[in-house]
Amino acid sequence: MHQSLIDLWYGFGIALQPANLMWSVFGVLIGNLIGVLPGMGALTTISMLLPLTYVIAPVPAILMLAGIFYGSQYGGAIGAILLNLPSHPPHAVTCLDGYPMTKAGRGGAALGITMMASFFAASVGIIVMIFLSPLLVEIAFKFGPTEICSIMLLGLLAGATMSRGSPLKGVAMTIFGLLCGVVGTDVISGTTRYTFDLPDLADGVELGALCMGLFGIADFLVSVNRTTIKPSDAKVSMKDMRPTRAEMKQAFWPMVRGTMVGTLFGAMPGTGPTITTFIAYAVERKIAKDPSRFGKGAIEGVAAPEASAHSKTQVDFIPTLSLGIPGDAVMALILGALIIKGIQPGPQLITEHPDIFWGLVASFWIGNVLLVILNVPMIGVWVRMLQVPYKYLYPAALFFICVGVYSTKNSLFDVGEVAVFGIIGAIFLTLDFPVSPIVLGFVLGPMLEENFRRAMLLSRGDLMVFLQRPISAWFIGACTLLILAQLYAYGRKLRLPPPRETAELVSE
Amino acid sequence: MRLPKSWGKDHYGALMLLALGAAVLALGLGYKMGSLNRMGAGFIPVVLGALMMAVGIAIGITAAKPGQREMTNPLPGHGTHAAGPEWRGWLCILGGVLSFVLLGEHGGLLPATFASVFVSAMGDRNSTVKSSAILAAILTVFCLIVFHYGLSLQLPLFQWV
Repeated sequence: MHQSLIDLWYGFGIALQPANLMWSVFGVLIGNLIGVLPGMGALTTISMLLPLTYVIAPVPAILMLAGIFYGSQYGGAIGAILLNLPSHPPHAVTCLDGYPMTKAGRGGAALGITMMASFFAASVGIIVMIFLSPLLVEIAFKFGPTEICSIMLLGLLAGATMSRGSPLKGVAMTIFGLLCGVVGTDVISGTTRYTFDLPDLADGVELGALCMGLFGIADFLVSVNRTTIKPSDAKVSMKDMRPTRAEMKQAFWPMVRGTMVGTLFGAMPGTGPTITTFIAYAVERKIAKDPSRFGKGAIEGVAAPEASAHSKTQVDFIPTLSLGIPGDAVMALILGALIIKGIQPGPQLITEHPDIFWGLVASFWIGNVLLVILNVPMIGVWVRMLQVPYKYLYPAALFFICVGVYSTKNSLFDVGEVAVFGIIGAIFLTLDFPVSPIVLGFVLGPMLEENFRRAMLLSRGDLMVFLQRPISAWFIGACTLLILAQLYAYGRKLRLPPPRETAELVSE
Repeated sequence: MRLPKSWGKDHYGALMLLALGAAVLALGLGYKMGSLNRMGAGFIPVVLGALMMAVGIAIGITAAKPGQREMTNPLPGHGTHAAGPEWRGWLCILGGVLSFVLLGEHGGLLPATFASVFVSAMGDRNSTVKSSAILAAILTVFCLIVFHYGLSLQLPLFQWV
C-alpha cells in the first residue's frame, strides 16, 4: 500500500512532464470535442487518431489515447442528454431519463449530475486500479502459455456473450475477428495465409483500417440519409448546470451504486460497457420506491449508468494492461496501439514499464479534473457543436479516416482495406450482428494462436493440460459456467414468453 | 435458388456465416495442418472455419422470425427503421474512399482530398453541388496546412503518374 503511494507519486511526476501533459490534454480535448459530435463515439475518435500515436513516444501516446477515451465519454453524455442521441452505445441508457429531463427544462442539471457522477466514479475506479493492480501482478507472474490461453478464451467468450444482443452472434463475430487476425504471415512457420497473393497483406490486416472501416465507414453507410437529427434548441449555460439540493440528494446513492456496478464489471475481462450501464440502470429501477418515474426524467437513471460507465472505464485498464485482456473494443484498440509501440501488455508491464502504468494512472486524475474544468464553462460551446449537420460531419470524418490510415504506413492499399471493412461492417450491422467483438478477436487472435501452439508444444499435444494446471482450470471452469448460463437463459426464454425488458427500454 | 419469404435477418446471417466458414475451411486445408503437438499454419484457421460454420448452423436453428428479433445496436438509424436501399449514399461514401485511393496514387494529396470530400458529401440528400464543393475546398486548405506543412505527410501534393 505504501509502495503504491510512492509509485503514484512517481506517476504524477511522469504525467506532469510538459510533453506528456500536453498530449494528455490534447487527447481529452479532442475526445470531448469529437465525443459531442453526433454519431462519433470513442471508437471512431480513437481509430481516427491512432495513426498519430505511431509518431510519438509510447508514454504520451497511451496518455493521449486514454484521454480521448474518457474525454469522449464525457462528450457523449452531452449528446445523449440534450439530443436523445447516444454517440456511443453505453450512453443509450442515459438517454432514457436524460432526454426527458431536458424536455422538462432540467437538462442542465442532468449534465451537472453526470459530470459529478463521472468524476466521482472515475476517482473510485482509479483508486481501485492503484491498489488492485499490484496484487493481480503477483498472480499473473504464475502465468504460462497455458494460463494465458485459457484466460484469453474466457475474455473472448465473455466479450462475445456478455455484450448486448444474441450471444451466438457475438461468438460468430469474435471468430470472424480471430480469422482477420490470422491473415498475413504465420509467425511460427513463415507461411503467408489468406493473403490472396497480395504482397500488401503479408503483414496482416492493418488495425486502424479494420477499426475505421467497421466503426467509421460502416456507420456512415448505415446512417446516411437515415438519421434525422432534430436541431436542438436546448440552451444550457453554466448557471443551469447546478442541480438543486434535492436532486443532489436523490442522485447520491445511485451514483455510489452505479460506481460499484462499474467497478465490479470492470475487473471482469471481456464484459462490455454497454451491459454495465444497463445493469446499473436496472438495479436502480428495481430498488426504487416508485419505478414508474424511470423513463420520465428520473435523475437516478442518469447518475447511476454514467457513474458505472466511468468507473468501468478506469477499472478496465487493469485486465487490459496487466493481463493483456481488453474489456471492450476501445480497450482492444488501446492494447493494439501498445503492441504496435513494441510494448507487450501483461504482468511484466507494471514492472518493466512503470512509467506507462503509473503515468497513466496519474494522468487519469489530471484528465478528469481537466474535463470538469473544461466542461463546465465550455458547455455552451459543446451545445453549439451539437448542431453541426451530419452532411458536413461525415465527409470530413471520412477524409480524416483516409488520411489517418494512409499516414500509418504510407500505404494507399490500407485505405482500400477501409472500404472493404466498411462494407463488411455495414452488412453485419444490417443483419444485427455486433461489430465490436471483431476488434477483440482481431487483437487477441495472434496472441491466442501463438500461446496455444506453444502450450501444445510444451504439453506434447495433450489438451488436458488446460485442466491439469490449477489456474487454467479455474478459467476453463468459468468459461463452462458462462456457456451453461447462456444455455439456461436460452432454455428459459423458450419456455417463458420473452421478458423483453431491454428491447422495450431501447424502443421507447 | 430462391430464398424462403419467411426468412428473417438471422437466417441470412446464418447462411453468410456458413458460406464464410466453408470458404475459410477450404482455403485452410491448403496449408500445412500438422498435429496438435506440432501445429502447422493451417490448423487454427481450419478449426476457426469449422467453428464458424457450427455457430452459423446454431444461429440458423435458433433464428428469430422477422419482427421479433432483439435489438443489438441501440444507436439511432441502426436497424430500427429498415428503409429501402440507399444507393446514392452508399455509392458516394464508398466512392469517396476509393477516389482518395485512386487520386492519391495518380493525382496527389490535394486532388485526392478534394475528391474524397466532394464525392462523399454528395451522398447526403440535403447536399448540393455547391455546398459539397465549399466543404471540399475548406478541407483541402485545411489538409494543405495541417497535414502537408504541419505533419509533413508523405503523399506529394500533386503527382501525375
